[in-house]
Amino acid sequence: MKSLSFLCAMVALLLPVPVFAAPIEFGASVQLTGQFANTGRYYGDAYRFAVDKINAAGGVKVGKNREKLSLKILDNQSDVNLSVRQYVQLVSQDKVNFLLGPFASDFALADSAISEKYSVPMIQGGGASDQIFSRGYKYIFGTLPPASDYFQSTLDLMGQLKPAPKTIALLYADDAFDVSVADGTRKAIGKASLKIAVDQRYSSKASDFNSILSLIKSQDVDAILVAGHETEILNFIRQAKTLNVNPKLYSFTVGVPSADFRAALGQDANYAFGMTSWVPSPAFKDDYFGNAEQFATEYQKRFGYEPDYHAASAVADVEAFVKAIESANTLDPAKVRDAIAKVDFDSLYGRIRFNAAGQISLPQTVVQIQKGKLAPIYGPKGLIEKPLYPMPAWGKR
Amino acid sequence: MKVGLKLALAVVGIGVLATVPSWGSAVLVQFGINALILATLAQSWNIIGGYTGYPSFGNSVFYGLGGYGVAIAMVQFQLPFEVGLTIGVALAVIFAVLLGLPVLRLRGHYFAIATLGLAEVMTAIVSNLEIAGRNVGLILPLLKGDTPFFELALALLVVTTLTVAWISRSRFGFGLIAIRENEGAAAVMGVNTTLYKILAFALCSVFAAIAGGIHAYWITYLDPGSAFDVTLNVKMIIMAVFGGAGTIFGPVLGAFVLSGISEILAIKVTSLASIFFGLVIVAAIVFMPRGFADLVQRFRHLGWRYFQENIRTYRV
Amino acid sequence: MQLLWQILINGVLLGGLYALMALGLVLVWGVLNIVNLAHGALIMLGAYACYYLFTGFGWDPFAALPLAMILLFCLGYLIQRYVLNLVIRAPMFNTLLITFGLEVVITYLAQVTFSADFRTVNPSYAGANFVWLGATVPLVPLLAFGVALGLTLALWLFLDHTRIGRAIRATAQNLTAARLYGVNPRQLYALTFGIGAALAGAAGTLYGVVSQINPYIGSGLTAKSFAIAIIGGLEKSIYVLVGGLFLGIVEALTALYIGPTYTDVVSFGILVLVLIVRPTGLLGRTA
Repeated sequence: MKSLSFLCAMVALLLPVPVFAAPIEFGASVQLTGQFANTGRYYGDAYRFAVDKINAAGGVKVGKNREKLSLKILDNQSDVNLSVRQYVQLVSQDKVNFLLGPFASDFALADSAISEKYSVPMIQGGGASDQIFSRGYKYIFGTLPPASDYFQSTLDLMGQLKPAPKTIALLYADDAFDVSVADGTRKAIGKASLKIAVDQRYSSKASDFNSILSLIKSQDVDAILVAGHETEILNFIRQAKTLNVNPKLYSFTVGVPSADFRAALGQDANYAFGMTSWVPSPAFKDDYFGNAEQFATEYQKRFGYEPDYHAASAVADVEAFVKAIESANTLDPAKVRDAIAKVDFDSLYGRIRFNAAGQISLPQTVVQIQKGKLAPIYGPKGLIEKPLYPMPAWGKR
Repeated sequence: MKVGLKLALAVVGIGVLATVPSWGSAVLVQFGINALILATLAQSWNIIGGYTGYPSFGNSVFYGLGGYGVAIAMVQFQLPFEVGLTIGVALAVIFAVLLGLPVLRLRGHYFAIATLGLAEVMTAIVSNLEIAGRNVGLILPLLKGDTPFFELALALLVVTTLTVAWISRSRFGFGLIAIRENEGAAAVMGVNTTLYKILAFALCSVFAAIAGGIHAYWITYLDPGSAFDVTLNVKMIIMAVFGGAGTIFGPVLGAFVLSGISEILAIKVTSLASIFFGLVIVAAIVFMPRGFADLVQRFRHLGWRYFQENIRTYRV
Repeated sequence: MQLLWQILINGVLLGGLYALMALGLVLVWGVLNIVNLAHGALIMLGAYACYYLFTGFGWDPFAALPLAMILLFCLGYLIQRYVLNLVIRAPMFNTLLITFGLEVVITYLAQVTFSADFRTVNPSYAGANFVWLGATVPLVPLLAFGVALGLTLALWLFLDHTRIGRAIRATAQNLTAARLYGVNPRQLYALTFGIGAALAGAAGTLYGVVSQINPYIGSGLTAKSFAIAIIGGLEKSIYVLVGGLFLGIVEALTALYIGPTYTDVVSFGILVLVLIVRPTGLLGRTA
């Protein structure tokens, strides 16, 4: 009997309750705790920052009125299954108007099934894997450039270095994003007529790279390209030091642009190459934040840590929605969806424009850590600053 | 309560549950599917853990095999869902029999660790299989609508619970309980302990696999981490133990109560949900290690001293 | 050939770290019959202790090691005395579940207190290495190996040759008889678990120097420690060295010759095989 009454109470709690929602409500399920919280927080904070800024500027014009934005963020505790259930809740119970995405390709992959199922547009700035956009889904858009292109600008840079690196070690974790990166990079390496000396896939949770590093050391490898997660890359660099592995150059898909990564490695972070789809340059002008540099300063002041491309990408998501809503002049999901597909504007993140599959196309700027600071090296227009190449051996720094 | 009354209540309860998708909110339906699947898992664990006394930490393997059976069949071979389920169940049963034979010879914590090890091995093996999409996983075709999944999960739970009810009254079940209480004596009395244990293991693999298959199709996404989720093992055990291992309705009750509270927390206070789970486990093991069913029974006689009694019995 | 030699060196050093990690688990399991699923979380706390001593007070990790051990000892003592002691005479299975609950709680509290940021302990000699017979030998893992050896030996001496150690073993074998001799089992159990936690703390201290720290490293380390404990054998704490070395070398070879994505298959596969074929471990006497 006790159980029955308990069950009834629970049912009552979960039945649909009329909610007074602000006119335009966004919903997101983000990794605020759990093992991806380290990067997930960029999204939670940036979404909030963008919504506040847009509201301060008067909100969004729909019809004759200007409506404010409101934001509901749920913590998925870095659990994909929970994330999926939370998006269903946001759509069906909280009745949000539009969805903002989570961090990471595997989350975006699973969660976009919900936006498609319920026909509510989702713009996500955290997943770059090709798979997200190859299912013919209409309601998912992404502001991270395709994973397969991540190393392209790095390879272009390599072609201009003297002495040019000839042999490459390609290492990649076995999750959706990094496998996409590796597949694309392999093709690009082939086109650039470079040789792959080592091609190794490793487990996403790996913390021991000593075997791979020993293998690389035994071969004649000029450059190491690693597609993985921050945790792994951190371990990789430290172990490269203890095993005294000295390539001429090494480049990583993540970590390098993030301040806490550099702080964790200290001096050992120097000379590492990475890439970012965004730099906090005053050249990126924005309707709400002034320009990217101002955004970065204000973000740091408000949240206490430097933003990187994850945060900028998240802001772009919100702005893309705003532009689409204003262009469609309605909150109807299908019409807004069509408007998103047609947006084309400049923001602090760069030029926002989605291809037919829903993905943005932005060049990756090659960056390098020089004396503890992040220096942009090579962009779409060519060389920006001089790279420190070749990397001096560990003992000689 | 008389048996007839209990039965009538159960039938009415199931009937009411079956209508939930027509009037409940999408969130309720979603919660329902999740809770029903967890209840099935807890109930299937009940067979090997509750009745036979072999605490398996590897039922997630059956769950994952069911999921992958469906995923591979539907994605790689374009076969229908039912065929996928059958394949998943077949895989799970084969696994249960082949690996059950060596592993069920172990006792107590060695058995538990061995099954835990098997769960880890399967995760690692599947993340290397090309046909399973390696660690990237597989994306299943999208079926719009939750109702079919709800009804399927409900039907599955009913069948599983009926099976457990049958076990509790059959010779097979008495044999299992005998194994749990004193395996040596049971063998001497003529119980074919090996056969019975394998059968119990295979039986729970069937239900866990179907649950896994339903879940995979519902979520439309499967990767080794979520399919063979090791924490799922602990969750199903906690739910069964909390509700009352070795009883018919205990695991179902435990699953609904625990997932209900957990879901409400996840909605209202999000971050606290995980620590809640840990604290509940600690509190449950300390204060009511024999489960809710036992609590209800003995609370009548002992009142609040029930909790004290438990501690007194088990502490040093 | 050169490469193989380097891989073997890597494996041995990895094995040393592994043995250190599993030592605390083996003690508590072998002596108290408690399967501590929170073991990895304790290692994680040890790593954080070292991190804060290093970055906050400038203590060298090897100097911080004893203090980290003492801190973890206190925590372990409290956990056993006021939580685990309440369930210790229940079916062993219950301690498994309750330590799982503790693991969840500890991990959550760690995340809230320390945040999810990655930390590393980076003393100046973190990357030091030397060349020996053609292989590069990293210094810190070698020192960790030494610490593992030292602690294992110290534990063995403690258990076999001191009064308290013998009291612990006696209590584990026969609680009633031990009580008759005036042993206070509550304190003794708490003491043992505290030592196990202290050993986890030692492992964590060194782990932070060779790898990186975040609140979620616990469960993976627990799983690994399990494999090491079982493979070596629970009878004597010295067997953990064998378990660790064996697993370290096997993993290093697997990564090179089969593929880095297969190390877990091999590690846990061996765990299952050992349990099936020789449950007392590679060195244990067949029951």
